Amino acid sequence: MTALLSLDRVSKTFTQGRHEVRAVDDVSFDVRQGECLAIVGESGSGKSTIANMILGIYPPTAGTIAFKGEMLPAARTLAHRRAIQLVQQNPLSSLNPKRTVGASLRLPLDVHGLGERSARAARVGELLEEVGLPADYASRAPDALSGGQRQRVAIARALACQSDLVVLDEPTSALDVLVQARVLKLLNDLRKDRGLTYVFITHDLSVVRNIADRVAVFERGRLVELNPTETIFSDPHHPYTRRLIGAVPVVTADEVRLRDRLMENENERA
Amino acid sequence: MTAPTLLIRDLTLGFRGWAGQVDVLHGISLHIMKGERVALVGESGSGKSVTARIVLGLLQQLKTARIGGRVSFEGQDLSTLTERRRHALRGTRMSMIFQDPTSSLNPVYRIGAQFHEVLKRAEPGISQADARRKAQAALADVAIPDPARALDSYSFQLSGGMNQRVMIAMALANEPSLLIADEPGTALDVTVQAQTLSLMRDLVEKHRTSVLFISHNLGVVREFADRVYVIYKGRIVEQGRSADLFADPRHPYTRALLAAVPRITGGGIPEIDDVSDSYFAPMVVHEGCEEPGEAG
Repeated sequence: MTALLSLDRVSKTFTQGRHEVRAVDDVSFDVRQGECLAIVGESGSGKSTIANMILGIYPPTAGTIAFKGEMLPAARTLAHRRAIQLVQQNPLSSLNPKRTVGASLRLPLDVHGLGERSARAARVGELLEEVGLPADYASRAPDALSGGQRQRVAIARALACQSDLVVLDEPTSALDVLVQARVLKLLNDLRKDRGLTYVFITHDLSVVRNIADRVAVFERGRLVELNPTETIFSDPHHPYTRRLIGAVPVVTADEVRLRDRLMENENERA
Repeated sequence: MTAPTLLIRDLTLGFRGWAGQVDVLHGISLHIMKGERVALVGESGSGKSVTARIVLGLLQQLKTARIGGRVSFEGQDLSTLTERRRHALRGTRMSMIFQDPTSSLNPVYRIGAQFHEVLKRAEPGISQADARRKAQAALADVAIPDPARALDSYSFQLSGGMNQRVMIAMALANEPSLLIADEPGTALDVTVQAQTLSLMRDLVEKHRTSVLFISHNLGVVREFADRVYVIYKGRIVEQGRSADLFADPRHPYTRALLAAVPRITGGGIPEIDDVSDSYFAPMVVHEGCEEPGEAG
């Protein structure tokens, strides 16, 4: 598989007065075309900083990011911004409360000049239907929707741009578990149907197990392990990965056995 | 048999608004015996947090709230108590831990001063020196490495995990008989959350504190609680011992909820309805987990 996005020795340092914080430290990895790559880690691991650099919100302090084999500039063009989209954790704050759902979905179509002007209203309806919402929700305000419905709108907005890469930043963490299952299902189906590529940022390893093809584990700004999901959960190489999986609250006896086995290995190696 | 620490019988709650009354709780019953850890698990809007607020006596003052049924704390009917007496129970006989420790602590006072306030609830005349000594011991109990330094810190100088430990120490400082924990640790990282929960479990076990544990996270509930009540739209749908309920969930809603939790052993994302008429099926009570008789 070819790399859609490549990070090459990327670092990011934030300075605050005389303080220097190295949020991301010499990180290199590829995101392959069509895959779902999970980025996991705890707070302070640098996972959001990586997302922000991929999106071009700020450039890396050192290193380069290439998209489709072409170096991404610090100042992104409109085309770059269209090609890489974001779905955030809290749809209530990522959707403009003063704008109807339809207007929020229409805006990217207008900005990027997608489709005939006359066809755009119909396109908004289609987008809503693609994420499992009735087309007439276009006239609603975000606060007239439930959390799950709002997240679907945020996903539809990312789809509107016909982007290649979607960065999902904790897309289901704020949702109830039944709603989460349905939104994850939708994300999975959309990726398959449209050949999308996901960078899925989360702290929730049980979600990762069921949606990601590969997992990148970050600890304090460093990439400590990058492996296929199967490997991460059956034979994690890095002690930090084992500790993370060992701390996941689980609901079945099978999961407890898996967790115990990994922690046993951890103690043996220690 | 002694009275349960907490006994809730047919509790109803409605809010009167401009569009008429909105019913939030439709007659829920639960009990917690001394030293028992009981979880109330449900999704947002199910009524779990308002239940906690009623137990604490915080919703009773609200003019729009219509509360029915009975809440007894250590055999005493809460509705017969004056507001003053209910106030006196909070922070002494019953205490609470909230979801986000950092926003529950006051950022303009040092931890030590806030701890002093907490201890004054039980012992109004406590001296500065005594309070400090007690607070240090309490912080040492929650495995805070340097208690003296923590007491001289502000909450924003401590990590989220440390703040959560401070909250636990404060909540247990006056040896309450009931601890209400509303989504504790949800705002923390998984490794920190696991540590905090096991710490809290050891402490309440040691002091035989009864716990009402409110959560939406089934994994956390399975690991923390002895008994579980599952609440859906203001109704208890299933109750039983944790081990039984997780091994053999019987109510359609509990089954859906459990099936929806992604597994670290894999299996993909299940196809589940977020609404179904079957979720309103009658309550399921596991063997030996009936509510105590009318006495109590």
